Amino acid sequence: MANKPDRILEEVGRRGFPRLPLPFLLVFPAIFVLSIVILYPLISSSFLSLFHYELTKPNEVEFNFLTNYNNMLHDDTFWLAFKNTLIFTGVSVVVSLVIGLIGAIAIDQLPERFAGLRGVVLVPWIIPGVVVGFLFMLIFDVEVGVANVILKHSGIIKEFLPWLMDEHLAMIAVIVANIWNQVPFYILMFTAGLKAIPMDVKEAAIVEGASRWQEFIHVTLPYLRGILVITSLLMVIRNFNNFPIIYTMTGGGPVFSTTTLVIYIYRLAFEQFNLGYASAVGIVWCGVLLMVSMIYVKMLYKQVHG
Amino acid sequence: MFRRRFSLGWTLSVWGTVIVILGWSLFPIYWMLVTSLKTNMDVFKVPPDFWPLKPTLENYTALTTGISPIGRFFFNSLITALLTVLITIVLATLAGYALSRLKFRFRDQILVSVLVTQMFPLVVMLAPLYLLYVKAHLLNTYTGMVIAFTSFALPFGIWMIKGFIDSVPVEIEQAAMVDGCSRLKAMWTVVLPLTIPGIVATGIFAFLDAWNNLLFPLTLTNDIMMKTLPAGMVLAFTGQFKHDWSGMMAASFITTLPVLILFVLLQRYLVEGLTGGAVKG
Repeated sequence: MANKPDRILEEVGRRGFPRLPLPFLLVFPAIFVLSIVILYPLISSSFLSLFHYELTKPNEVEFNFLTNYNNMLHDDTFWLAFKNTLIFTGVSVVVSLVIGLIGAIAIDQLPERFAGLRGVVLVPWIIPGVVVGFLFMLIFDVEVGVANVILKHSGIIKEFLPWLMDEHLAMIAVIVANIWNQVPFYILMFTAGLKAIPMDVKEAAIVEGASRWQEFIHVTLPYLRGILVITSLLMVIRNFNNFPIIYTMTGGGPVFSTTTLVIYIYRLAFEQFNLGYASAVGIVWCGVLLMVSMIYVKMLYKQVHG
Repeated sequence: MFRRRFSLGWTLSVWGTVIVILGWSLFPIYWMLVTSLKTNMDVFKVPPDFWPLKPTLENYTALTTGISPIGRFFFNSLITALLTVLITIVLATLAGYALSRLKFRFRDQILVSVLVTQMFPLVVMLAPLYLLYVKAHLLNTYTGMVIAFTSFALPFGIWMIKGFIDSVPVEIEQAAMVDGCSRLKAMWTVVLPLTIPGIVATGIFAFLDAWNNLLFPLTLTNDIMMKTLPAGMVLAFTGQFKHDWSGMMAASFITTLPVLILFVLLQRYLVEGLTGGAVKG
């Protein structure tokens, strides 16, 4: 058969190239880049995690086996960061999911000539993370922020609140910014899912006299289930790794109140230069992510291959 | 086709929802633009002007004369993002083709591993990567940054292009090869043109990834002249100049504009590429 790889191999071989298999030649460059930036650092990190290694004290590097991991168990900041990550991710994903679903259904109902609005709704999603952080720093600022002006005007708060300087409020502000940034992605995915519902199923529901609510529960939701699961898993992973919004808005503060694990790892490595301990926290975190990813890949596979 | 009877209540709630979502999506961007056109004095007005009463471009001109080299950041961002797009497209197309068309050992394992690499937190790679870059003299170089950005954009690109090549019938390619094309020539002249939407989508994502990335330039450069916009802006506007709101918004707008233009021009590819794979089933 013409598409057997052997033919081209001979050709390449004849011209004096080393006789490497074609698949290898094609895949290697990509794998090489991924290895430098992802695979090697990951392996290197697992080694580093077994050492006491501070960048500023290169002479005091010593093997200390699992001490870093043991220290983690008694590190309150680590556990606080863990909790913050779950809150940040959980609230962001659940709220965005609901807004995204309502938004997608509403936009799906619009007449075709308003289809352009779909694109407009997507805009927040492409705004760079740092800019999102800056925008909401301004919006939530205690002196000039519009959030305070609007909330006070509508009677929800009595005094201007120092959103980003308060331990209890900072997380709310950061989550709002994050939700603003990512809701479009959910809308995009759900809109695609809604389009994939067969017309005759919807018509059958209408002919049978189903109310809109019944149609939603018995037709829309079952059809969207796959995409709901996949989108939320993907976004759980993305939010677990979110860095720019939190870093620009609060830097993890005040007093660790918005420090997620990613922020904590960054600060350990690049502000305290404690590479050994930072690596240990990183490896534990990778383990957690790997588990979520496995579920995600399984679900995706099921979705694609039925 | 059967449709539901027109209901005023439903139509109103649909439009109400759409308008709220539009307002919520666009207000912060509008606010960025308005603030960037105000003087810093006006920014501190309470209640604020929701419309620039005396619009001024002084914040934009100030960016070119200020202490922070925003122009240089912009240039760095542009160079690294464009190189990332180029390299990602080439590498992802080669790999995507092999993973779609050729049978070889570990193919499925490679595909899954490529997907999984996307899930790891970037921040975990940074310490070893930093040490590696110091040794390899890649710190403060475009090469170093482009390699890092590319690795971030590759997994998505490989999957995207593989998906597109999957949907091109093998028969077309075989016909070309029967006509005497080599496999590589058949790939170039027959398969590639049909894969263009996937390649464009990959390019856009690579550009966005590189343009928006904060962690790599933050850690892999320590020379301010080598920072890209995100890292440069963090340096310029957080800390002692924190209250230069209008300057900050002007810089933000400059950073957002290229991405916005790209989005408006190529929106179709972006949406197609993103949702194509997920809803095929």
